[in-house]
Amino acid sequence: MTRHSDSLFSRGQRWLAGVARAGHAVLRHAGEIAILLRDIAVALVGLRVSLRSIVRQMYVMGVQSLPIVIITAVLAGIVTSQQGGYQFTGAIPLYVLGSVVSESVILEMGPVLTAIVLVGRVGARITAELGTMKVSEQIDAFYSVGRDPVPILAAPRVVAGIIVVPVLVAIANLVGILSGMISAQITVGLGPNSFLYGARLYWHSWDLVYSLTKALVFGFTIPVIAIHMGLRTEGGAEGVGKTTTQAVMFMTLAVLVMDALFPPLMLD
Amino acid sequence: MHGDPIIRYRGLYKAFDLPVLRGIDLDILQGEMFGLFGASGVGKSVLLKTTIGLIVPDQGDVEVDGKSVFFGGPQALRRIRDRVGYVFQHAALFDSLNVFENVETGLPVRRLRSMSRMQIARVVWEVLERVLLDPREVMRKIPSELSGGMKKRVGIARAIVGGPDILLWDEPTTGLDPVNTAGVQRQIRRLSRELDVTSVIVTHDIEGGLDMCDRVAMLEGGRLRFLGTPMGFRMSTDPLVRAFVDRAAAEAAVDLVATT
Repeated sequence: MTRHSDSLFSRGQRWLAGVARAGHAVLRHAGEIAILLRDIAVALVGLRVSLRSIVRQMYVMGVQSLPIVIITAVLAGIVTSQQGGYQFTGAIPLYVLGSVVSESVILEMGPVLTAIVLVGRVGARITAELGTMKVSEQIDAFYSVGRDPVPILAAPRVVAGIIVVPVLVAIANLVGILSGMISAQITVGLGPNSFLYGARLYWHSWDLVYSLTKALVFGFTIPVIAIHMGLRTEGGAEGVGKTTTQAVMFMTLAVLVMDALFPPLMLD
Repeated sequence: MHGDPIIRYRGLYKAFDLPVLRGIDLDILQGEMFGLFGASGVGKSVLLKTTIGLIVPDQGDVEVDGKSVFFGGPQALRRIRDRVGYVFQHAALFDSLNVFENVETGLPVRRLRSMSRMQIARVVWEVLERVLLDPREVMRKIPSELSGGMKKRVGIARAIVGGPDILLWDEPTTGLDPVNTAGVQRQIRRLSRELDVTSVIVTHDIEGGLDMCDRVAMLEGGRLRFLGTPMGFRMSTDPLVRAFVDRAAAEAAVDLVATT
């Protein structure tokens, strides 16, 4: 009896300790991100961020990500169109497919799939790059020569993310709708005019604002989490690998959780 | 003869999972070459990094020329960092910058703003020549195109380009072959003399350190096990100190550590 209650007690203690540890870790991450954001804001307000660095990061994040973003958007448009066509044939007027594809792509597929692609392509790269700089003492070297790494390494990436991700999402939206339209013509014989008629029928301009606002928030969140994780990397090559994996997990979760929060905040 | 203390470590305590430094009190005198020895992981580099605030101790403070590193505020810390050159163990060159840009970052920001591109180029050129690199050959190369010895020299160039009063050397010969090791040691001696700086050298190369330094210390168990002259270090009867100068004593020390 005593042994049983002891084991229950210790299990409860272990559970409480685990919760306390997790709570402590969350608070520590939140505090560190708050300090990082403050430092980025100070660097931007003080005009200590080089325009050249921002343009370079825009090229790395934007232009170099364009092929994979376009491929993802093309496939998303095709799949949505095919599945809609399969469900609607014989039941609902086919021109509604235009609305289903365009709304799905603009509200959900374009921003979320682009963000998930950028988590892997841009976020992981930022964490691995800064993590490697951290474990090879390059971040310390910045401080040792009296330079603050935040305006040089962090701020340009965040600014570039905020500018570039909405542009990529706008391109993904356009490409996704076009590919869906072509797919509808090939698979269910819905012509472009009928497709566009359906798309216009249920069109709300606000949906585009919603889509680009999501993109803006994702474009801010992905680099911030990636930079935060990169700058707290420890433990050599293994540490870089571990932190990059964690960062990808956190960024993906952040994108999905925010995606779930957007409809009640911005859609009636 | 060396002057007053220029670096003062006061009651430094630092723990990661376990305590690494347990109340270190140490003065480095102006103009001296000071060697810091100890086994791997005893906190030599941690101690060196506290000098310019790269690691924050749990307790204690460091003063550089009378100015507190941890309680003087960001402006004071920036001024301290402008006066101190730090040579990192693996050079820590910025991967994405070429040699010229890497060395250029060593110039204090305020001085950099007052210089023309031509003046900056001249200063970088001179300092590369000073560390025995051919500027024409290396200026436009990125770190991955350099050998280990060349990276160390570029790291030294970055540390001295701002004209520091103090140079901190974190295992400057680690990973180098004997020829490059001798070359870097010769540079440390020559640069310390020519630039008239105070040097603190963390090294595993005991013989090299004893030959170069005016005073040496040994860290063990988070405390200073030895502090004195190289001659005193060589003559010490402490078995752990002996282990660093004598192969047979090292073997005995392994057994001693294992039994304790």
